[in-house]
Amino acid sequence: MDYIVPDKVSTVADFFDDLNLAIFLASAFFTVAIVGAMLYFAFRYRAKSSNDITPRIEGNHLLEIVWTVVPTVVVVVIAWVGIVLREKMFEVSPNVIPIYVTAWKWAWEFRYPTGKRTSGQNAELVVPVNKPVKLVIASKDVIHSLFIPAVRIKQDAVPGQLKYMTFTALKTGEYPIFCAEYCGTRHSYMMAKLRVVSEEEFNTWVNTIPEKTMPKRILGKKLYTDLGCNACHSVESGVNLVGPSFYDVFGAQRNFKDGTSLTADENYILESILYPNKRVVQGFNENVMPSYEGRLSQEELMALVSFIVELKTAPKEELVEVVFEKDEKIDLEKMTPLERGKYLYSAKGCNACHSVDGSQLVGPSFKGLHGARREFADGSSVVADDSYIKDSILNPNARIVKGFVAAMPSYQGQLNEDDLAGIVEFIKSLK
Amino acid sequence: MGIHSYAVDEIGHLKENNYLNCDKSLRSWLFTLDHKRIALLYLASLLVFFFLGGLSAIFMRLHLYNVEKPLLSPDAYNVAFTFHGVLMIFLFIVPGIPAVLGNFLLPLMIGAKDVAFPRLNLLSLWIYWLGALVGIIGIINPVWILKYLQGSAISQWIPLDTGWTFYAPYSTSTGAGEGWGTIMMTLAAFILGFSSILTGLNFMVTIHRLRAPGLTWFKLPVFVWGIYATSAIQVLATPVVGITLLLLIVEKVFGIGIFDPAKGGDPILYQHFFWFYSHPVVYIMVLPAFGIIGEIIPVFSRKPIFGYTAVVFSSVGIAVVSFIVWAHHMYTSGMSPFSQAVFSATTFAVAVPTAIKVFNWVSTMYKGSIRFDPAMLYAMAFVFLFMIAGTSGIFLAVLGLDIFYHDTYFVVAHFHYTIQGGAVIGLIAGLHFWFPKITGRMYNPGVAKLAFWLIFLGFNVTFIPQFILGVQGMPRRYAFYLPEFEPMHRLSTFGTFFNAFGYTLAILNLAWSWAFSKVKAGANPYDALGLEWQAPSPPPHDNFVVPPNVEIGRYDYGVPVNLVAQKEVVRS
Repeated sequence: MDYIVPDKVSTVADFFDDLNLAIFLASAFFTVAIVGAMLYFAFRYRAKSSNDITPRIEGNHLLEIVWTVVPTVVVVVIAWVGIVLREKMFEVSPNVIPIYVTAWKWAWEFRYPTGKRTSGQNAELVVPVNKPVKLVIASKDVIHSLFIPAVRIKQDAVPGQLKYMTFTALKTGEYPIFCAEYCGTRHSYMMAKLRVVSEEEFNTWVNTIPEKTMPKRILGKKLYTDLGCNACHSVESGVNLVGPSFYDVFGAQRNFKDGTSLTADENYILESILYPNKRVVQGFNENVMPSYEGRLSQEELMALVSFIVELKTAPKEELVEVVFEKDEKIDLEKMTPLERGKYLYSAKGCNACHSVDGSQLVGPSFKGLHGARREFADGSSVVADDSYIKDSILNPNARIVKGFVAAMPSYQGQLNEDDLAGIVEFIKSLK
Repeated sequence: MGIHSYAVDEIGHLKENNYLNCDKSLRSWLFTLDHKRIALLYLASLLVFFFLGGLSAIFMRLHLYNVEKPLLSPDAYNVAFTFHGVLMIFLFIVPGIPAVLGNFLLPLMIGAKDVAFPRLNLLSLWIYWLGALVGIIGIINPVWILKYLQGSAISQWIPLDTGWTFYAPYSTSTGAGEGWGTIMMTLAAFILGFSSILTGLNFMVTIHRLRAPGLTWFKLPVFVWGIYATSAIQVLATPVVGITLLLLIVEKVFGIGIFDPAKGGDPILYQHFFWFYSHPVVYIMVLPAFGIIGEIIPVFSRKPIFGYTAVVFSSVGIAVVSFIVWAHHMYTSGMSPFSQAVFSATTFAVAVPTAIKVFNWVSTMYKGSIRFDPAMLYAMAFVFLFMIAGTSGIFLAVLGLDIFYHDTYFVVAHFHYTIQGGAVIGLIAGLHFWFPKITGRMYNPGVAKLAFWLIFLGFNVTFIPQFILGVQGMPRRYAFYLPEFEPMHRLSTFGTFFNAFGYTLAILNLAWSWAFSKVKAGANPYDALGLEWQAPSPPPHDNFVVPPNVEIGRYDYGVPVNLVAQKEVVRS
């Protein structure tokens, strides 16, 4: 079996392979015994003449009881060991490093608490050796399934729900990751890489975030592959994959399914990224591309737009830059703290998990939160005041309210003091 | 139609009047109430879908031979495996054995003139054809057809690409016609299900009411018990498809979130609905095949079936347990660990009655006088293939192992061992075994054996490599794979051709022998017991010329044990 099983990388892989081998040997034994008996009978009792005398044996109670009881005992034991293995596979150890996994058609994204992110064509799940990790798995559109043969575990990514998976990698190296649940056109290309590295290397890697310092054009190109745009959009003239080629977009006449048309400019490109199904070009399908609204920073959006534009033309970076920066600065600074909080609530995607009407989504509702007593999983409790709310945004997993899971990413570094104050005001307003 | 069982031909010879020649018009076939003709019409329809489904499998295997220079686009590959699954499951093997051999043999085996409701039986056939038509529209893409007929601007044509499991929300949002393809397919499954329900009901009433006097329940053939258990599953499980259909339509038309999380639904709920029907369906496919094997082995071993009561109750037991194992398809979708453990336990409960059956078949051969007719070769191959199917099922039932094997080629291989190695081999075995009864002629045994070996070897060369691919971690439904999977994929493609050629040869041999063979079979070519062998071959319209004799038990082969020594002495 060792010749064909995938690399053994996780702590459960040995248990898995041993159980697998044991069942294989038991199965092989029973198969050989039964088929062997059949072949032996076939040879030994082959017809010698058309009037052979055969005994009318209609059964044998003792034998039948034996071959009912023996398989029953065997399967009870196997079933029990299987349940134990499953328990071991999903046992989350304390001090676990959380990694947020998002799947969509057709790419993976791995996000770390530091803000480090890999996705799309370059999606790598980088984990430190000998340290347990916990993956919190979400899907943007349909069901996908995160399958890492080397750790012997698979978990579906179900839209609207968060699933988790955990493992401890024992060997450095690179191993494949697949999508195991059929999800359409590029399902078979929805792969990623598990890279197990030393702890020092992991710490350096996870804290180096090139996006922040990268020139726009290079960042755009990186996002093109990281987000998996390249799965459906080529950069060659005339090569249409699932979606139109990026090369042919800028400055070209676009004819839409609703009969309208326009000449593609930067604004149109931006719109297509944020609201891809608003206008669909003839010859392509609706509802294939997911919206990137709320998933990319202004900086990233701008980089992507300029990347697409520059494929065809001279750089227009300055123009694009002016449009965006004006937008963001004027809007946010002009707002009252309450307006600002309300804006950030949806802009930062808080609304994905926290309702404002008291209904429970992934996280607690914001309605009536301020001033309420919060009971934590560890038994302690506190009255939710301004500092508790701020703290929950920056270190969401320090204290988890009873009945919820540690699913929220930290917003450390993404929000300034004014932003936080705005959000607190917004929550206060929801009585 | 044939009121007289015997007629006189032009030159005055007594000519046999049978169900085939009593009336030859097309009308007499399409409106026939004869269970034997209905069986043959089912057989012809099923073979068309078996051929088309097989053809798409060949395209898939050819594509997977070399993914560096792909034969198909990823979309075309997705359409191919959907087409293969949908046709093979819903249009071929689910109706499969009950519709063909069940229809033909059930009345003959219990000494009846026909099924209890012959008109309902014809209606089931028509409903099956309607369901097949709706299914084909669903596959082609209903929205596209509508646009095409209206002559409006035709968007890109996407046939159904959801896989045969139609998992929401993929199937309800994309794929053929933005989910309408899936709704049409569910409608087709529901219509086909109605055909199954009516057939099942018909069979159950027939078994209850039309047994020849003296043929008590525990004298019934094990095949009839298999059909009875299958009918019960069909009647009880199929309504769930109707509920699913209704919910899909409500979601689509009124936008009420049921399965689609974008509307507030739960996609896991869809999987529960799907498997609550589709898991019992697996047993609809294989239980009748178990019955066929239980009929063939005693005849060619000249021995009673070993442990008749255990064989019967294991069929019934499997049918009952089949309703409470469905969620073992969903270990990785995030059910609670407790439910996972419960479903793992119930799944193991299926293993025991299945094991009992295998032990009984093999023991039947003990001290027999075994002849290796093609039907017997298929039956022995069945035992071997089903051992592999069953033991590989153990891997998948083990909770911790299934977390890895789920959605890999291991599942594909296991499934094909149960369904092709089980149900299809069972059907082919049965067709060979009862061919003389159906046609009144013998087939060419040499060609039949050659075809058997091609099928047997081709099948194993196709699917054993797929077990290895599964162990290596190759996911299913992939149009592309990493280099480490290439050797096993190539070997598998290689086997496919032998397998396909074997089936073609086996079916052509039967068809050719029927049309051209001069060898008349006679009423009882195997010297077998059982009521169907007391009817002429082919049987007349009303099945029996003289009332069948139920005094001799179906499995009363051989000499009572206490008389064996005496007989031996007499013979020597």
